[in-house]
Amino acid sequence: MNALVPLVVIIPLIAAALTLVVGRRRRLQVLISTIGLSAVVVISAVLLVLVDTQGAISVNLGGWEPPWGIVLVVDRLSAVMLLVSALMLLGVLVFATGQGIADGDAETPTSIFHPAYLILAAGLFNAFVAGDLFNLYVGFEMLLAASYVLLTLGGTGARIKAGVTYIVVSLISSLLFLAAIAFVYGATGTVTIALVGERVAELPMGVQVVLCIALLMGFAVKAAVFPLSFWLPDSYPTAPAPVTAVFAGLLTKVGVYAIIRTDSVMFRDVPLQTPLMIVALLTLVVGILGAVAQADIKRLLSFTLVSHIGYLIFGVAISSELGMTATVYYVIHHIIVQTTLFLITGLVERIGGTTSLSRLGGTTSLSRLGGMMKAAPFVAGLFFIGAMNLGGIPPFSGFLGKIGLFRAGVDLGTPLSYVLIVAGIVTSLLTLYTLVRVWNMAFWRRKEEVDDGYESPLLDSLSESPEDDGAVDTKENSALMYVSATGMVGLTLALTVFAGPLYDYAARTAADLSDPANYTELVFPNGLPELEGSAP
Amino acid sequence: MIVFLTVFFVASLLIPALGKRWGTRVFPVIALVPAAAFVYTLTLGPSVLAGGAVVEELPWIPMLDLSLLFRMDALAWVLSLVVTGVGALVLLYCRRYFTDTEPGLGRFAATLFAFAGTMFGLVTADDIMMMFIFWEITSVLSYLLIGHYTGRRESRGAALQALLVTTLGGLVMLIGVVMISVQAGSSSLSVILDSGLSGPATTAAVLLMLVGALSKSALVPFHFWLPAAMAAPTPVSAYLHAAAMVKAGIYLVARLAPEFSDVPGWHAVLVGFGAWTMLLGAWRSLRQYDLKLVLAYGTVSQLGFLTIVMSYGTPESAQAGLALLLAHALYKATLFLVVGIIDHDTGTRDWRQLSGLGKRAPVLATISAIAVASMAGLPPTLGFVAKESVFASLIEGAAAGDPAGWVALVGVTLGSVLTVAYSVRFFWGAFATRKRHVRCEVHHGPQSILLAPGVLAVLTLVLGFAAPVVDHMVTPYAETIGQTHEHLALWHGFTPALGLSALVIAVGLLLFRWRAGVARAQDRVPDTFDAARGYWKIITGIDRFAAKVTIFAQRGGLPQYVGTILSVFVLSVGAAACLGRVWPDSFRAWDYPVQPVIAIIMIVAALGAARARRRMAAVLLVGVTGFGLVALFAFHGAPDLALTQALVETITLVVFILVMRRLPARMYAEREPGKKVRRAIIASSVAVVTGAVGLIALGARQHAPITAEMPRLAYEGGHGRNIVNVMLVDIRAWDTMGEIAVLVVVATGIASLLFVRTRNVDLKRVPGARRSRLDRRAVPPDPHVSDAANRGPRQAWLIGGRTLTVSNRSLLIEVVVRLLFHPAIVVSIYLLFAGHNEPGGGFAGGLLAGLALVFRYLAAGKYELAEAVPIGPGKVLGTGLILAVGTAAGALVFGGEALQSAYFSTELPVLGYVSFGTSTIFDVGVYLVVVGLILDILRSLGAQIDTDQDNNDVGSSDEFTGSTKGAAR
Repeated sequence: MNALVPLVVIIPLIAAALTLVVGRRRRLQVLISTIGLSAVVVISAVLLVLVDTQGAISVNLGGWEPPWGIVLVVDRLSAVMLLVSALMLLGVLVFATGQGIADGDAETPTSIFHPAYLILAAGLFNAFVAGDLFNLYVGFEMLLAASYVLLTLGGTGARIKAGVTYIVVSLISSLLFLAAIAFVYGATGTVTIALVGERVAELPMGVQVVLCIALLMGFAVKAAVFPLSFWLPDSYPTAPAPVTAVFAGLLTKVGVYAIIRTDSVMFRDVPLQTPLMIVALLTLVVGILGAVAQADIKRLLSFTLVSHIGYLIFGVAISSELGMTATVYYVIHHIIVQTTLFLITGLVERIGGTTSLSRLGGTTSLSRLGGMMKAAPFVAGLFFIGAMNLGGIPPFSGFLGKIGLFRAGVDLGTPLSYVLIVAGIVTSLLTLYTLVRVWNMAFWRRKEEVDDGYESPLLDSLSESPEDDGAVDTKENSALMYVSATGMVGLTLALTVFAGPLYDYAARTAADLSDPANYTELVFPNGLPELEGSAP
Repeated sequence: MIVFLTVFFVASLLIPALGKRWGTRVFPVIALVPAAAFVYTLTLGPSVLAGGAVVEELPWIPMLDLSLLFRMDALAWVLSLVVTGVGALVLLYCRRYFTDTEPGLGRFAATLFAFAGTMFGLVTADDIMMMFIFWEITSVLSYLLIGHYTGRRESRGAALQALLVTTLGGLVMLIGVVMISVQAGSSSLSVILDSGLSGPATTAAVLLMLVGALSKSALVPFHFWLPAAMAAPTPVSAYLHAAAMVKAGIYLVARLAPEFSDVPGWHAVLVGFGAWTMLLGAWRSLRQYDLKLVLAYGTVSQLGFLTIVMSYGTPESAQAGLALLLAHALYKATLFLVVGIIDHDTGTRDWRQLSGLGKRAPVLATISAIAVASMAGLPPTLGFVAKESVFASLIEGAAAGDPAGWVALVGVTLGSVLTVAYSVRFFWGAFATRKRHVRCEVHHGPQSILLAPGVLAVLTLVLGFAAPVVDHMVTPYAETIGQTHEHLALWHGFTPALGLSALVIAVGLLLFRWRAGVARAQDRVPDTFDAARGYWKIITGIDRFAAKVTIFAQRGGLPQYVGTILSVFVLSVGAAACLGRVWPDSFRAWDYPVQPVIAIIMIVAALGAARARRRMAAVLLVGVTGFGLVALFAFHGAPDLALTQALVETITLVVFILVMRRLPARMYAEREPGKKVRRAIIASSVAVVTGAVGLIALGARQHAPITAEMPRLAYEGGHGRNIVNVMLVDIRAWDTMGEIAVLVVVATGIASLLFVRTRNVDLKRVPGARRSRLDRRAVPPDPHVSDAANRGPRQAWLIGGRTLTVSNRSLLIEVVVRLLFHPAIVVSIYLLFAGHNEPGGGFAGGLLAGLALVFRYLAAGKYELAEAVPIGPGKVLGTGLILAVGTAAGALVFGGEALQSAYFSTELPVLGYVSFGTSTIFDVGVYLVVVGLILDILRSLGAQIDTDQDNNDVGSSDEFTGSTKGAAR
């Protein structure tokens, strides 16, 4: 069964290669991608069951033993991240295919989108199974390089501008990450994560802290943690809807995943609680204030994305088993709901012709978003469910995740954790406020009201997206897009229905993480390697 | 209970569709479900009232101790009857209230129906978290119902307001709920209430929960959402805002009172805010002209009243409070429904437009009279019975010297006086005949609309007489607090309570009699407390604050983001390094003397690149740092890395030059000196910190690195003497596989940016050129030579050269490139295969082959490129990736680990001993990917930009056909 692990990377890569080789045959490309990602969904589901029932799996690639060769590790955390992200990638692929059917090749040109998307998938999966710090970096590089391509699809001025911001920031984060790997190797003489964890523990605490912060820097930029998060709302929302959906759902979570690994395996002794809590607090509050100030739904969602990363960091900071349990559940929730909402917003944009609530500059007479309830009641329903979920309304998963976090926070009982709970409440309320305002304006408000020059104090302080030229451009949606969006909403509901087993799984995951010895023994079943030679 | 909740849930999903088909006929059908729940609840009556409880449980999230736990006890039983009974009647009323043409009818029906189910869940849930879940759902459904008239701005605003206010309270309550369930170690309400919690933490938790109750039940300072919510259709007001949802807060107080009424602050909050609310609501009610608003403020007032009584915490007050709750639900729902009918029949709710309605609609007036009497507390209605017992219980408390009892008693008395006044004024306003008014038009709708309010009014009256029945219903709850010796009755004899009642009624009637004076007095009292305006101030305040913060945070764009990231790096890592005091004891400045020299050159070049204004200069200076690295690799004894790095630097330079054709020669320069200095400081600090951390990290090493074993592993396991290559294609081939995928995607990205719609653009071949390598004669004539020369044997050094203009063409270069191309390819293949033992490898080989292509393109243009590689780069890249990844997959097929290598060695003539491994196939893949990347770069950054430029420069076309013609002339 070990063979399944490398397949999650190999299959998307081969699929990517095939889509390149078959060149112009669009249908075949779509078919290859769909089969490839479906296969990964199946494999990761099998892996999840295997790992959960029989224990984690570690694979020595090429038969080379760690710490010399590269090791892939699938434990419960990896398995669930794999499965959820594979599902998201497949769902969004279906959506993008539907969009391709509706538009022709304009938005997501097949011959570029498919290889890039599959390599993004491969990089993402690789990052989740990497048991080697440098290989984690390679996974990051794959997904980042692919994301550069996807973000600039179509090469419009706005996308190139957003792309420059995104690429420069990402390159800097990669550089910081790479430098940190060099530091870690310098101090420990290895890049095998399990061994790094053992060796780091022997270093003086001062050195541990320096290395840990250096490593976290790169991850924190990717995860969009305050104050390293400002780039995100300027880059994500301009991409085509399916691309934004994947980025929003998955890319920030790779950063969070890496932070969890850093905290629980590599730098388990470093006292991170207070700094992480402060960072989480600021991420939550500053992020959601950003969302409050937006007139454009896509930008607004991007800010909520940043803000809610604060919940995850809070969970990591609590660092109790309950806190980690809630974090794992919340990660799953957040991946699915953010992806879904961006997809639905994509539908809204195509029906309404815009995602902006207010009139551009207050002077132009261009009509803006309104009357969506009448124009598209089904999409409205989907959006409402998604919005309520993100807004933390029970019984949706956003609420269930928060309950777990708050319980863990109350359990911890420090003043700072209560401050965080209050910040979490405020964020939740403001998220609800922004989304319900969207609902009021975009869905309930009549189109005629918009045309008559609607003004409201609710819209006065909102800022438009800088790329918005006020144009209104409606497009048809194909049935496949609705199928995909509905399926995704179904998944978000499943998170509520199956919350019991999911939380149990998350608890087992947290138990794994709480004892790093599990991880070390998995990678080095015969004990730690004795290396010859002396320290320089 | 769970069965009913399931039915509610499933049915509410189906109702929108039914509503579309059946129109308003859907209402009586769906009313059957709450009616059935009502009957079911009634059947539980005997056992529940005897002190038993019906419990149902379904596990949900054991991890969070969250389960679908329901418990029907005495309190839940009474409230269940209210919410299901009134729910069924209100749904029935909707049948006539709406018409089939009402927009969103199905949606409305479903929402109202779901609301009934949710309320049923709320009052029966025993898991406190479950209760909270229903609590929040009612807020959302209420939002949807208030906003039913989606086209009306005020109803949307009111919906938003109600949602935000109740959710704010709800979320504060959530903290309390979580705290208390953690303290009790269980989320079961009955366990929490039995666990005898006390202490500051419990006090905090209880008070936080009360905030939820206050907001939900529209108590001061949250009361303002309720009158605004009157924008909803009247059945919604009757059900949500009189009988059901607003009672949720009262229910919570009632639920907690038996255990927590002695918590510090409990009475101060509930009796204090309750009394304030009761007076404020009644006072405001007294000056409304809209009948619905009279009722709305009246409801606010009565909710304050209910809170006082429920929170008081003696068995008698509990008994009285529950009876009052029942009475209120009955009469307030009736009155709302009546107002709905008046609105329908007359087209107005402003009583100044009404006159003589009592005569025209006697049944309606009678129904109203009963309900109003109950509201004012007149005998023989249920309202009177309840209020009597309230007075009795509060007098008892006050007599015992309890300060809260006094506040409660005075507040309730004053509030009741005002209540009598506004009740009478309501009835008089709605139904009296006033001479100075024009008699309004009345269009009677179907009389069946009177059914629901009629039933409720009859109950109000009947239960007044049947006070012992009510007593029997409410006493079991009261006895959870303690033994009660009081009983509800119409007539207790001459008691202080009766006296108080009489006084209240008399003064109330006087107030009505002096209504003109009261109105003048109301005008003179300024509104010192306008919570609604406060709400708007807060909302716009948040909006403005958010806008300010966001503009501040996002202001600077990319330069600021990068600056922030690097500053955070410097500050955090730098601070950690300084505070940790972890400097190594000693360090070696350099390994060999050339090292610092190279370093200085690189530093100077980097500084120069940062300061350069001309793009070309900057690129060249960056190139210097790259070649500095080449030198460092070489001196460190890594010829392989040096070779690869040198090739990479060369290719990079070519790419830059190709791109720079489209860019201005000078770069943007920051003019503001302050920014420049700041950036210089940040940049140099990053450098210093990075260096320092490197020093610390290396100084802290305690174990030998893994490298010592590498040469042996590479030779024994990887069959190669070139450690770097064995690492790349075998030991760490997985990384290489990922990195070539990066190359593939980068190539695709470059193609995407230039070709936009597809990466499969065919380059144009030289027109008329041979299609087959065998047919050397099919060479088109060279336009640059004489016809005579073209008549000779048609040979070409580089055929693409003929497509260039004379000024761009250099025959010398064509010849040189032609001569060097094939040897370069051969060497590149040599490097590919020799790499396992000597410097080289697929990467270096591919780069060299790529460079050879670069020269073909540079020498003879884009047509030459098409001639050199007539297949698309996508295929080359794809094939390369398949070879490399296939090696990984192949090993799996043969049962090994992914990428496990296999070696075959044999003696060959000429070559001698040859060892060939699967890792070589992997390296071939690498080679192809690198070639494909360079090909993609040349096609897009080279050929495509050529084409774009040609299309832009009108008149200077060097299109082959054009120039041929020109030459021919």
